[in-house]
Amino acid sequence: MPSRYDCILIGGGHNALVAAAYLARGGRRVLVLERRPLVGGAAVTEEIFPGFKFSVFSYVVSLLRPEIIRDLELPRHGLQILPLESTIVPLDNGDHLGFWSDPDQSRRELARHSPHDAEAATLFGRLMHHMAMAVKPILAMVPPDPASLAPSDLKGMLKFAGHFRSLGAERFHALYKLMTMAAADYLDEWFELDPLKATKSASGIIGTFLGPRSPGSAYVLLHHYMGEIDGAFRAWGFQKGGTGEISEAIARAARAAGAEIRTEAAVERVLVRGGRATGVALASGEEILAPVVVSGLDPRRTFLELVEPAQLPDELVQAIQRFKFRGSSGKVNLALSELPDFRCLPGVGPHLRGAVSISPSLDYLERAYDDAKYGEFSREPYMDIVIPSMIDPGMAPPGQHVMSCFVQYAPYHLNGGWNDARREAFGDAVVNTLTRYAPNLKSAIIGRQVLSPADIERITGLSEGNIFQGELALHQLFFLRPAPAWARYRTPIRGYWQCGAGTHPGGGIMGASGRLAALEILKGRG
Amino acid sequence: MGCDAIVIGGGLNGLTAAATLARGGLRTVLLERREGLGGLGRTTEFAPGFRSAPLALEDGWLPPPVARALELKPPELVSPEVTLAVPAGGGEWLALSRDLGRSAEAIRRFSPRDAERWPAFCEQLARHAGVLAALYLLPPPDIDTSALGEVLPLLGVARKLRGLGRRDMVELLRVMPMAVQELLDGWFESPVLQAAIAAAAIAGLRQGPRSGGTCLGLLHRQVGLPPGALRGRAYWKAGPEALGEAVAATARRRGVEIRAAADVVRVLTRDDRVAGVALASGEELSAPLVLSSADPARTLLGLVDPVWLDPEFLLAVRNIKFRGSSALVSFALDGMPEFPGLAGAPAAAAGLLSLSGSTEALERAADAAKYGRVSARPHVELQLQSLRWPTLAPAGKHVAVARAQWAPYALREGSWDAARRAELGDRVTALIAEHAPGFPGLVREREVLTPADLEQRYGCTEGAVGQGEMTLDQILFMRPVPGASRYATPLEGLYLCGAGSHPGPGIPGGPGWLAAKRVLADRR
Repeated sequence: MPSRYDCILIGGGHNALVAAAYLARGGRRVLVLERRPLVGGAAVTEEIFPGFKFSVFSYVVSLLRPEIIRDLELPRHGLQILPLESTIVPLDNGDHLGFWSDPDQSRRELARHSPHDAEAATLFGRLMHHMAMAVKPILAMVPPDPASLAPSDLKGMLKFAGHFRSLGAERFHALYKLMTMAAADYLDEWFELDPLKATKSASGIIGTFLGPRSPGSAYVLLHHYMGEIDGAFRAWGFQKGGTGEISEAIARAARAAGAEIRTEAAVERVLVRGGRATGVALASGEEILAPVVVSGLDPRRTFLELVEPAQLPDELVQAIQRFKFRGSSGKVNLALSELPDFRCLPGVGPHLRGAVSISPSLDYLERAYDDAKYGEFSREPYMDIVIPSMIDPGMAPPGQHVMSCFVQYAPYHLNGGWNDARREAFGDAVVNTLTRYAPNLKSAIIGRQVLSPADIERITGLSEGNIFQGELALHQLFFLRPAPAWARYRTPIRGYWQCGAGTHPGGGIMGASGRLAALEILKGRG
Repeated sequence: MGCDAIVIGGGLNGLTAAATLARGGLRTVLLERREGLGGLGRTTEFAPGFRSAPLALEDGWLPPPVARALELKPPELVSPEVTLAVPAGGGEWLALSRDLGRSAEAIRRFSPRDAERWPAFCEQLARHAGVLAALYLLPPPDIDTSALGEVLPLLGVARKLRGLGRRDMVELLRVMPMAVQELLDGWFESPVLQAAIAAAAIAGLRQGPRSGGTCLGLLHRQVGLPPGALRGRAYWKAGPEALGEAVAATARRRGVEIRAAADVVRVLTRDDRVAGVALASGEELSAPLVLSSADPARTLLGLVDPVWLDPEFLLAVRNIKFRGSSALVSFALDGMPEFPGLAGAPAAAAGLLSLSGSTEALERAADAAKYGRVSARPHVELQLQSLRWPTLAPAGKHVAVARAQWAPYALREGSWDAARRAELGDRVTALIAEHAPGFPGLVREREVLTPADLEQRYGCTEGAVGQGEMTLDQILFMRPVPGASRYATPLEGLYLCGAGSHPGPGIPGGPGWLAAKRVLADRR
């Protein structure tokens, strides 16, 4: 029986949508199947309390690949990124440390705390910029397999090696250090101001199960420096209407190219016959056929749940079984009757249009990590907070606000497991910690949504609630993501592909995995 | 009177470098600050009639090519029956030996599944450590000129030397940056077996087993060992000082002039290059070449006038992570302590007794160091050195050495004074007593060497006897710092030849041999 589709994408996350759009533009008849009533995966906007809209999970954007924005004409389909203008770090002594989009203002602010660091920050920023520039092309590269002798792999390795050669010794050494060091140690080499080091290293621990003093945490520092909006580095932004609107924009682009998107269509398994994918079976029992099936789900679901592991080589099954997820962060979304009044910067000001980082010292972050290491959520967690309604008033009723708190650490494997009581206790820890910095906060809360990693897993399907579909650790990157020999979006089952963030280059609202996978698929007739 | 080369430091690396230079025809003088030679193997009389070699708790890998180059006679080696024993709680011990099968049987009591997996784990560990061993016999790749382009072929060379498949090589690249805890979670379920292996990975590091990069520590420690011999290196029956004496004899035979009690305080320069050294006594010796086996910070920040070095280079040297975090305690004992439940005791105590029974205990001990504190329950590794070398103690008496981790050099509050030293000694004694109840009653005297004491006695910065942590960011072309990883420093004529350089600590003679070869090559 001839199938109506050339390609079926499992899951309507942003990567699968990007892949769908590229495949449709490549002339394929494409169907996207999403389990939930709305597309976006972890990039969704939902009205949790009447009138209050939240970017429920992922809340800021900076890594979305510019070529995707261009190719898919996303601005035409609704992409509109509003920049976050600052980051404020409340300090324990009642003062604050501020980073502003105006470099001069940032410098003056830093110099107020440490003239040495103000000088160093300029050099540091320049180095990071160069390294991010150097690494960025790798984001657009299909990982070569170093164990393969195939010409395309050898060519890829040469390209990879040549890439580093072009860096020059000094930058190569700096990059090597970034890849291997602890964020705290790396920053110690540059700066003296503890809250500065804490705040910078905080970006190195997001979504990983590492502390700032653990080697391997410096790399993610760079990952977050690669953020790019309109060519400006280190710029983070907020999508008008919430991150769900990014997904919607990509979905519109995909539909415009001819892709079909079905929601509330949960795929239960991939149909395989004679070592070939032939379609999918839905939870409803319906079967849909297509010669190409692409999973946008994480590697555990892609290899261990959607297909029979017995159909895969043992080596791959073992590699996926040991692939580390270990969700370590939670999310607290608050509906507020009034703006928080921060002790360090009282009243309403431009700082409320930016991020607030609760990262007063390295020890603070490290203690937060220690709690999680032994199976507890941090009693005093690291938080990255934004108030989207300050930038986009449409997110909340007039005069009222929504506040998004990214919280780390909240281990998926909590001692005794997550339940309603533990979830609320976690929410209380967040609110109590915040209230120390903004005393009016507690009384301003009119709605509170607490999401533990277990909730993130339950709602989005992300295994263990890991926001990157698997930790961004050195041993899970590039040609090792998600498993050696299977980092090129293919799987051992012909016609079955992977395109989620569990493949290179990984997490954040980047879309690169989806795009690279689609281009690989379009290359062949597979 | 002038000579061709001066070597600073009479440890294994200094001696090896001097002997190698002399072999190459250079008139070489070796200067040692203290009275005795032999570096880490050196014994001291810490109590009347009792000697210990606290830094020889674990033997290093003497690479066969280095032994051959030094014309060492094959020594009489001894392998302890039990190489590593770990208490599992409830009076039980896991006792590992060099024999794969026997170890597997010991593991079976704790987990049949782990016992099945033990041989495969050991084989993989040995294969991976073998790649490092091959890399350790070569100078590090020169990243300054060709970046990664040179690393990859080099890895290829190492791989082929070890008969490793390409897949294995990818697996090695995957494993090296991992936390040892993650590696172990993928293999074993038994906490005591995990602890036995993890302790090998974190020895000498400030990090605990959940920290990234600790797998490298494990591989490094296993270099040169056959599969299954977890930390089970055979030792020289002739004593901890015998290797140093043998290398010194070779050096002397080749005409090296060895001077003890010659404390170098400055490297002299003339016309933009090295001209010799000045001693504490005021004496000056001239030579166009100086090789320092002192650590890189001591050498480049302590002995060289900073005007000769680029400020950025100096900054890199200052940023080397030394972070000594272990203390060493020597005990003079009136008798042989008993370890209830440990089969094969007392002989088993000639190996290593690693007293943390779970990786969580290790991790919790490591947490303290992050905040600049001494662990409330340090990880203790104990060895009855007098069982190895009976002459260290009077007849019927014994000497035990314990390494306690973590005791950070840099304390957040206060400093290493007598009271802290005594408190640490008491903590270690009490921890040993948990497994050997009669131990405290046998202690006649003890000597506690904190990282501050180690710095003082051995001249190692921050008490780091390894001259810099063996972490991914401080190996190969990064060791000790980019721009000096191939032994030559930016000051012409000055070379580094100690464990602070590639291939690092635990490879006696390795850095000295490669450094001297570099010097000889540069002269051609």
